[in-house]
Amino acid sequence: MFTLTEDLTKAFLIDLGLPVPQGLAFDKSGEAARYAETLGGGAVVKALIPTGRRGKAGAVVLTDTSEEVNTAAERLLGTEVHGFAVEKIYVESKVEICREFYLSFSLDSFPGQILISSSGGVDIEETHARDSETVIRGDIDPIQGVNKKQASFLWQKAGVTGDELAAVVSVTTSLYDAFVKADAVMMEINPLVLDSDGAVSIVGAMLAIDENGLPRHPDWAEIADGSLIASWRKFNARELSVSEANRKIKGGAVRYTELDGDIALLVGGGGAGLLQHDMMLAIGGRPANHTDTNPGAGIEEKFKVTIRAIFDNPNVKCLLVSFNHQQLTHCARKAQPLAEILRERNINTQEFPIIVRLVGPGEEEAKEILEEFPGLTYLPFDASLDDAVRAAVDIRNAMENVK
Amino acid sequence: MSILIDENTRVLAQGLTGAQGTRDAEFCLRYGTKIVCGVTPGKGGAEVHNLPVYGSVKEACQQHQVDASVIYAPPLSTKEAVIEALEAGLKLIVALAEFVPRHDTAIIAAAARENGAVVVGCNTNGIISPGKSKLGAIGGDDPSEVFAPGRIGVVSRSGGMSAELSLAIKRGGLGVSTCISMGGDVIPGNPMVDYIKRFVADPDTDAIVMFGEPGTKAEHEVAAYLRTKACTKPLIALLAGEFQENYPKGVSFGHVAAMINDVEDTVSAKRKMLSAAGAIVVNSLGEIPIKIQDQLGS
Repeated sequence: MFTLTEDLTKAFLIDLGLPVPQGLAFDKSGEAARYAETLGGGAVVKALIPTGRRGKAGAVVLTDTSEEVNTAAERLLGTEVHGFAVEKIYVESKVEICREFYLSFSLDSFPGQILISSSGGVDIEETHARDSETVIRGDIDPIQGVNKKQASFLWQKAGVTGDELAAVVSVTTSLYDAFVKADAVMMEINPLVLDSDGAVSIVGAMLAIDENGLPRHPDWAEIADGSLIASWRKFNARELSVSEANRKIKGGAVRYTELDGDIALLVGGGGAGLLQHDMMLAIGGRPANHTDTNPGAGIEEKFKVTIRAIFDNPNVKCLLVSFNHQQLTHCARKAQPLAEILRERNINTQEFPIIVRLVGPGEEEAKEILEEFPGLTYLPFDASLDDAVRAAVDIRNAMENVK
Repeated sequence: MSILIDENTRVLAQGLTGAQGTRDAEFCLRYGTKIVCGVTPGKGGAEVHNLPVYGSVKEACQQHQVDASVIYAPPLSTKEAVIEALEAGLKLIVALAEFVPRHDTAIIAAAARENGAVVVGCNTNGIISPGKSKLGAIGGDDPSEVFAPGRIGVVSRSGGMSAELSLAIKRGGLGVSTCISMGGDVIPGNPMVDYIKRFVADPDTDAIVMFGEPGTKAEHEVAAYLRTKACTKPLIALLAGEFQENYPKGVSFGHVAAMINDVEDTVSAKRKMLSAAGAIVVNSLGEIPIKIQDQLGS
């Protein structure tokens, strides 16, 4: 999942003909001020970062003149908000606010959920906690979608009537269509605004996109890769190199996230990696990273990039290469890239401990490939994942004792 | 017996003519799976492993008795392929592809329920009833190395772990009735609890082993079922991914579905909940056969 910034979200909605205030992103205050002139002088200036709660952080500024736009832009650019560097600001025309609503769609479980409230604008989580009756929830049938009937039912339940009802119902069904079209897993519109003429305007908009949907959105794919973030922080150079290889090389997948321990993990698949990580912590080992891998055509190349990243990490003291019983992928396809990087980096395997648990088809061949590295431990077929983790932690502890 | 598939299940392979389909089908046929034909749009009339290939599922079903379909379609075509199989009336579908968009998986799940069908996957390596039949890559070219026939039902959110669980069961001198990799996606075609109910109803399954992960409500549904006291067989649960609780929510280190959005979705919360509901929660593979023996008194 990755979050689109406001400029991309709104450009997407504008393209679909939805009522969004005019706006653009800038990285220079002068250009922002000149653009504000075309909007009539005053504008809303917002820090362009992929997260919410900007208003409370002082990262949304209402201005009345282009000079004030300039000042606000200068103040915001280069600062940090909620851990994100503000490299750009979003300048948008001001909207007259008569009523504020909240609307969101999410698909983080089955069935997806629609959430609406007639008291938008404020922190919706607080509203919900204080008065859950003001937030109305509905299940989404993915085959029917959110139609006029369901939208009308929910908004009436939220106390909206008459012309206002017709306006919000219409924008709700259009926004659901946009939610599906974007391959979004979350769309939050807050606030959804009605002006004194009863016209609807999408003032706050956030979209979180399903990575599996990115092949249908090539424009976003590049942004997702370059700008991301291990969710709680930006990727470092080593993580970025793996992430880039993952996108550029076709077939298979590797994910690599650095942590603060010293035992490097080249583990997988999803479940077996989680189990080994838990076990390592339980017996006092400290992983230097986590990996998750999926087989496919490009996996050898992706492994090489990952193994290089592991050896580039200065904290790493030993390496555990351990996978669930390989049912289809030949074990040699994992051993070969490891051997290649060990040679390329001239790793002295007698001083740098490596534990390998690779069982299944091609096991004998994999063993032969790794035979040339003295000191490398290739565990026998009957060694379990439990045994592999224990071996790695034992050898790391032994290193400590020698010193 | 076993659940979902056995030696008599007649199987259609959607995408048989592709590289993955052709290779997987060869291993399945060698294992004893009754694949009767293939379907690839636009390739009707072709032949793979001496099996006829049709242009549509409907056409294939007119020519053959078919009980189940295994789908090798790429991620962006998987939804259409599943719908086609459901519309042809098939009640068991194994959809293997990883990276199927979330909205497509939601439609698949809804369509499966609407048609009273079981869709295993997406993002699975398949299902196996050891010694009888298998669908998908599960077990590779020599399933007997890992999967011994027996009376333990296995359901896993991880394909790789389905092999490790079955291997642990085999090393403990036991065997598996059916092993199901239910798929690692946020929205699986069929919920975990449904497989557990099927194992409970199966006279040839004595105990059930499940593998859970962080994220999703799959384990909550299992716990709710256990609380009804309808589960008459021992359920042993191994859950992994507790370490993710050391990191901010919204981070996944494995399957996309293993992302924690909610405190209730953490592994430690799920362990507590399952244990309180009557499951036997273990922390390592080695404990699994020991707990089964304890429960079955052999």
